[in-house]
Amino acid sequence: MDADSANQALQVIRTLMERSAIYRRALSPIMIFLGILGLVGSVIGAGLQIQSAVPFGLYWMALSFLGVIGAFLLARRQAIKDREQFWSPATKRVAQAVLPSLFVGAVVGFIFTFALGNQLSFSWALPVTWILLYGCALHAAGFFTPRGIRLLGWLFILGGCSLTLSSLAVNVRLAYTQSHLIMGIFFGGLQLAYGIYVHFTDSSSERA
Amino acid sequence: MNPEPFLKLDRTIHEKGRMAIMSLLAANTELSFTEMKQTLGMTDGNLSVHLRTLQEAGYISISKTFQDRKPLTTCSLTANGRKAFANYIDLLEQIVRESRK
Repeated sequence: MDADSANQALQVIRTLMERSAIYRRALSPIMIFLGILGLVGSVIGAGLQIQSAVPFGLYWMALSFLGVIGAFLLARRQAIKDREQFWSPATKRVAQAVLPSLFVGAVVGFIFTFALGNQLSFSWALPVTWILLYGCALHAAGFFTPRGIRLLGWLFILGGCSLTLSSLAVNVRLAYTQSHLIMGIFFGGLQLAYGIYVHFTDSSSERA
Repeated sequence: MNPEPFLKLDRTIHEKGRMAIMSLLAANTELSFTEMKQTLGMTDGNLSVHLRTLQEAGYISISKTFQDRKPLTTCSLTANGRKAFANYIDLLEQIVRESRK
């Protein structure tokens, strides 16, 4: 075997591993889409003065729903483009891994919004809970994804814990504008940064 | 060029069909026989032979269960298989690296 054959074998391995995991190539566009959605949502939310519990909760749940639909369509487009199976076993496993946390996030979102909305701590409790649960979802998905997702999950989890501790320590009630900002930083900034990172690292590995 | 990495390549994995099977299983916790057959475009017989070879080498485990009253065969990499596959990839990368020197 010469170096060319070794290189070809590595390429075949990479292609086969990726073919069985369609979401990997869709990961960058999905993360960039979710990041932009989070940032734009945060700016619009703050700009529109969405400043009370029910509108805040409903607004971000609607954005999350948009995010899920968008991610689904992007993954489907990638599968059609490459003439590959969309609902592949790997995609199924990633979906199964993230589903519990996302489901709890949705349920908690409704409970917080409609039952606990008047509590003093609502404006930070809901974003922080979503950040923590999303971090757990990413970490679970990380067992089936190539790189970085678990680290991103930990960033969400540690960020959520830090926010909780700091809020308890100073006993502060966040203004809703600050809650929109927190949502924008985590669901916008972090995801956009990760999407851009995956985009460039994937492009460079394809060139290699 | 140092011939040592070539000689160390695992002959069980270093076959087109088996390398493909190992690659799929390395990217998934487990896959069914049908999923592998569809992804790789192999015949039942061909796939069975390769799976048996890998199983005999201790690289994969095969379990047979029933789903909706139909038999379901699923395969997954064993710890040994994962280690052997990682080692195989390391050797291929070593060959490529040495050729670039």
